[in-house]
Amino acid sequence: MARLADAEHPSPSASAGVFAADAEVGADLAAVDWAATPLGPPADWPQSLRTAVSILLSSRFSMWMAWGPELTFFCNAAYRRDTLGQKYPWALGRPASEVWAEIWDDIGPRIDAVLATGEATWDEALLLFLERSGYPEESYHTFSYSPLWDDSGAVVGMLCVVSEETERVIGERRMATLRDLGSDPSVVRTEEEMLAFAGQQLSQNPRDLPFTLTYLFQPDGTARLSRCTGLTEAHPVARAELPSDAQGAAPWPIAALAAGGSGVIDLDGVLTTALPAGPWPEPPAQALTVPLPQQGGAPYGFLVAGLNRYRPLDAGYRGFVELVAGHIAAGISSARSYEAQQRRAEELAELDRAKTTFFSNISHEFRTPLTLILGPVEELRAQFEGGDPRVREELEAVHRNGLRLGRLVNSLLDFSRIEAGRMRARYEPVDLSAITTELASVFRSAVDKAGLAYEVDCPTLDEPVYIDRGMWEKVVLNLLSNALKFTFEGSIRVAVRAESDHAVVTVSDTGIGLPAEEMPRLFERFHRIETARSRSNEGSGIGLALVKELVVLHGGTISADSTPDEGTRFTLRLPFGKEHLPADAVETAASTAAVSATAEPYVLEALRWLPTDTPDTQAPPMPTPGDTAYTSGPEVPARVLIADDNADMREYLTRILRGAGYHVETVTDGHEALQAVRADPPDLMVSDVMMPRLDGLSLVRELRLDPRTAAVPVLLLSARAGQEASIEGLQAGADDYLVKPFAAAELLARVRANVELSRLRTHHARWRTALVDSLQEAFFVCDEEGTVVEINAAFSDILGYGPDELPYRPIHPWWPKADSDPEGHRQVALAFAGLMEEGQGRYTIPATHRDGRRLWIDAAFNQTQDPDTGRRVVVGTFRDVTSEHHAIQRESALAALSLRVSQATSLPEALTGALSELKELWRARQVTAVVFGHRAEPAVTATDAAPEWRDVPADRRAALTALREQPLLAPVTDHTGAGITVEHPEGPMALWVDVGSGRPFTDEDQLLLSLLAGRLAQGLVRAHQIDQQRETAIALQRAILGPSHLPAGFAVRYEPATQPLEVGGDWYDTVALPDERIGIVVGDCVGRGLEAASVMGQLRSACRALLLQDAGPSRTLMALDRFAAGIPGALCTTVFCGVLDPETGRLTYSSAGHPPGILAHHDGTTHLLEDGRSLPLAVRPGRARPEAECTIPARATLLLYTDGLVERRRRPLSEGIDKAGEAVQDGRDVTVDDLATQVMSRLAPENGYDDDVALLLYRHPAPLEVTFPAESSQLAPVRQALRTWLERCQLPPQTAQSVLVAAGEACANAIEHGHRHTPGEPVRLRAEAYVDDLRLVITDSGQWKIPQPEANAHRGRGMPLMKAMMQHVTVTSGAAGTTVQMRTRIA
Amino acid sequence: MTTPLTLTPGRRPDGTALLTAVGEIDMTNTEALCEALDATYGPVVLDLTAVEYLDSAGLNVLFARADRVELVATALLAPVLTISGLADLTTVHGL
Repeated sequence: MARLADAEHPSPSASAGVFAADAEVGADLAAVDWAATPLGPPADWPQSLRTAVSILLSSRFSMWMAWGPELTFFCNAAYRRDTLGQKYPWALGRPASEVWAEIWDDIGPRIDAVLATGEATWDEALLLFLERSGYPEESYHTFSYSPLWDDSGAVVGMLCVVSEETERVIGERRMATLRDLGSDPSVVRTEEEMLAFAGQQLSQNPRDLPFTLTYLFQPDGTARLSRCTGLTEAHPVARAELPSDAQGAAPWPIAALAAGGSGVIDLDGVLTTALPAGPWPEPPAQALTVPLPQQGGAPYGFLVAGLNRYRPLDAGYRGFVELVAGHIAAGISSARSYEAQQRRAEELAELDRAKTTFFSNISHEFRTPLTLILGPVEELRAQFEGGDPRVREELEAVHRNGLRLGRLVNSLLDFSRIEAGRMRARYEPVDLSAITTELASVFRSAVDKAGLAYEVDCPTLDEPVYIDRGMWEKVVLNLLSNALKFTFEGSIRVAVRAESDHAVVTVSDTGIGLPAEEMPRLFERFHRIETARSRSNEGSGIGLALVKELVVLHGGTISADSTPDEGTRFTLRLPFGKEHLPADAVETAASTAAVSATAEPYVLEALRWLPTDTPDTQAPPMPTPGDTAYTSGPEVPARVLIADDNADMREYLTRILRGAGYHVETVTDGHEALQAVRADPPDLMVSDVMMPRLDGLSLVRELRLDPRTAAVPVLLLSARAGQEASIEGLQAGADDYLVKPFAAAELLARVRANVELSRLRTHHARWRTALVDSLQEAFFVCDEEGTVVEINAAFSDILGYGPDELPYRPIHPWWPKADSDPEGHRQVALAFAGLMEEGQGRYTIPATHRDGRRLWIDAAFNQTQDPDTGRRVVVGTFRDVTSEHHAIQRESALAALSLRVSQATSLPEALTGALSELKELWRARQVTAVVFGHRAEPAVTATDAAPEWRDVPADRRAALTALREQPLLAPVTDHTGAGITVEHPEGPMALWVDVGSGRPFTDEDQLLLSLLAGRLAQGLVRAHQIDQQRETAIALQRAILGPSHLPAGFAVRYEPATQPLEVGGDWYDTVALPDERIGIVVGDCVGRGLEAASVMGQLRSACRALLLQDAGPSRTLMALDRFAAGIPGALCTTVFCGVLDPETGRLTYSSAGHPPGILAHHDGTTHLLEDGRSLPLAVRPGRARPEAECTIPARATLLLYTDGLVERRRRPLSEGIDKAGEAVQDGRDVTVDDLATQVMSRLAPENGYDDDVALLLYRHPAPLEVTFPAESSQLAPVRQALRTWLERCQLPPQTAQSVLVAAGEACANAIEHGHRHTPGEPVRLRAEAYVDDLRLVITDSGQWKIPQPEANAHRGRGMPLMKAMMQHVTVTSGAAGTTVQMRTRIA
Repeated sequence: MTTPLTLTPGRRPDGTALLTAVGEIDMTNTEALCEALDATYGPVVLDLTAVEYLDSAGLNVLFARADRVELVATALLAPVLTISGLADLTTVHGL
């Protein structure tokens, strides 16, 4: 215990003991000249101050306190570090008003309020300008001031627990600005709009940005003011134009800014006109200039930010300004790039329009160049036959695609001719079967290769059919090509028949068939049937339309019937004869031309649909570096995935992109593309729209649905021109859309633009991530199921769960466990339900850090929609409010403990109450306190049944004993809980809180325990003082209540109604009068408590004195009347006053308004002493008082009492008196003292007496007690005394003689045997008359001989005689002596 | 101090020796009783009418001389004499 050995001469170590809890601050505190302060030397400090200083120094929480008239300042190490700064150690021991002079206006009134009311204050994030670093500093503190009490319970100081929140408040403010700056990124603004928006946001944070100037560089190197906040454009500092030279632009370092460097500019003295101060008292002293960075280029401009002079320009502040500048720069970049894209889109649209015109007007011009391509290619093919395979392959591709292009051009031209009515047909009579068979045979190889049966059933017709050979070729080849494309198994059949005046040609297949709803539009121009499956999605949608047009030109019809999954059949009917044809177009004879070259492209194309042996992903060799066509590649290598079902197209795209330096991979349909992207997302996906299995649009949709692939940019390629098609593609989520045919340069430009846009976009995403990560509040996003899918750095910092383990599904790992902390679990479950159902809210809930620490977080969340997926998500933030939570918990726990302790009426009750409070607070298994006092064994108190010290387990005993060695109020923990040493008035007390294993006892818990223990120590001192006061009062009461030695035969009780001081206005008294008579008084003063007690004391003394003067009851009361008249508060006191002759039982008495005495006779009747009654005291002083007389017969019991015993509300007094009489009658066989206890308990109301009660019992005659030396000469006098007493008992003579003989024998035995060798030792005889029997006890300190009548017949007659004379005799012999107890009934 | 007891020797009208006791007989004065009885010869009548107390020590003296002692007693001593069995051994008058 850190007690002072000598209060007058404090040794240095003793005064250091007060400060022992912290070596460093303690040493500085010890160095203070305390004698010069109002507190005086530490040796003289009261216990309460020492306790408070111990708590302060042992705490790791930032605290300061003030004590005494000048509020002398103390603080601990944490406060020194966090808040006091340069004022340490100067501040120690100084008046608090001096230490905090600069904020005294703010905190002084709060401290005054605490001192005046004793109630704690609570302030959250209060702005204070502290001068702790040499300048007034903007700072925010959350703190509470709690009162400190001295030993007497008066408030003499205050304790401040403070947490500095400057970083949080300022961080949140800056974050709000950054968030607002990026609040609506989806709306693309023009540069002007963007700058206006940014300016508006910046002007909302004048604290961090008292003013800003945004300058944009002009092409000539000058800078133009774009926006200013915090001041008007008329202010001299807001110069509209800045020249490019350094001097002209002063004070802004324009050259350095143009080169990307930032700078700090001192403003004091530079400007003649005062700058605006914003919300602060003084304007900025400095400004920070930062460039607006452009990726890969010179800065766009620069930002001048006036700086808050009340904050240092630290990394956080600088970073904030730089982020603001970065955001403005990103906004400019995005606005300018959007404007550029806008312009390009307009240009492209113009180009498309021109292209369309070009195609439709002069597509026939293609024929010449196509011919000029195909011709030489044909030659080259022949020339390279068997030559370089690579060259051959390329030639084949040129050839194939040249033919295909030619066919498409021809078809288009056919249409325009048909449209224009300029189709020049030449109808000649032919053998339709022969021609059709010949055309069909062209396809045989392709059909065979596809594994299909091919049936050509064309018997020769009887009549020729007039056809244009070229047209008919197109009809048949188109139909066959179509059949092959959609048939995967089964057969294709071509048949020709004659049917009346028509030739009927059918082309049927067992392919996939067509849905019924498609049939009406089957022959519509440019209508393409969307089918689930085909060999190729290539197609222009003009084949069947052209077939129909051509058949119609022949005067024929075409129809189709189809069943899905069974097949399709086209039926053509051509009339025989020539009447239906224009006469000028009819030839009379057939030409001999064989199948024309028209057929070749069809077949070649069909063959490309079928599987080949060489994989088409084989990489062609890279082009040479000098190849100018392929120069627009990426700056950084990018990976492109190509999906196209056309092998030529795949090869072509691969060649172009590889040539430009891209890494290229290819797949053949959307399904494969999806798998490839999921496996390894490329930088760009180039996909055809028309693909089997999964088309391009569906592919894009699938990609966008999956968060892992949503960001992959997709460029769609399609042969379908027109705005609608591209809108459809972009709606599906494609990033760009390119219509075939396209130039290699255009493809490369688009690919490059998309790769770079995507990188820009990810730059935004990165910027967003940085923003979210820099939030000091934890941030998270939950999906519809409550799974946490995104978190920021603060989230990981606060909870310990990082982004690498995302997603976190409910029940999240940071929930308190349901088994170990059901209450915490329930709270979180409730908040989570709120999150899922309400979609918004705010909760303060517990959480478990990954390391097991208990945290409290304040979480707020809102429902919103994911702009990409449209799904409902919940976005939330929270912050760590553990310390705030604990501060509140501390305050309420302290209040609860204080209340509990202050309500206690004794020291043990205070301690028991405090322990149960601690148990409840920590939901502990048990709380044990051990006081190492001056008793032999430490005194144990515990929340459940308090064990004895020796019953406490040995290890806990050792731990508790070890605690004694700890400094006061310094908590010690182990795996089961924590202990602390507290000063108890009876000695040091070790206290242990057993919270059970598995639950950490945190630093906060320790602080709380130390505060509570300090408060407990003070409470115990107060309770101890109350105890002492009460003991004093009880001693006083006992001293004035009655004689310390009652005369024999009497029993008394006193029970006051008022707690805790057991004093009141009722009294009893017995006075031994000189003539052996006994004065008996029972009185009742009006009122209760100490006041009534003092009146009672005076009356009692007076009454006693009067009786001793042998005044007699009535005269005594009359004298008392006069006496009482002079005592305030004595009026109406009731008194029963009597004088008893114990020999005869004669009682004279007088009653001053007192309830009647009760006399219970041995025969069971009861008699009330109702005579001698008169008024209460002092009502009529001087009036004569009557006196009555009665004789108390033997074995009757007299009960005197005050009305508290018998008076009950809404009950007649007589009822209580009857009950009291019954209670006395029922106690016939107990001693008079036991009877007093029985009466008190039998008459006690359920909740105890609500009025003072005094009770006096006397049973007549009083027991006889004689002690005499063990000498035979004593026998006669003792016998005489007993004989006299027996006479008072009014026994039958024979009974009395028997008792006399039995007692004589017992006494003779005691003398003869008990003390044969030690004559003169005392022998005691006690005889007591009960109502129905008589009991004797004879005791000696010797050992009787065992009676052996046979051996010593003449000496053994005593015992049989005793047994014969009395009804019950027992002899108990032991080391201490022999006791004979005898009893006989009284008839 | 011995318990007060006076023993007055005398003769009955028939000449039988008579010893009249007045007081109380207990262990302190049995010796005097013995001497007084033994001072007589032959049958003797012990008059206990004025004796208020007789304890076992006195009984022992009487038992030892039961064959030649006759007693005169009042109802007060009757229980002692009867219970001890002395009344069966010797003649008790006055009961």
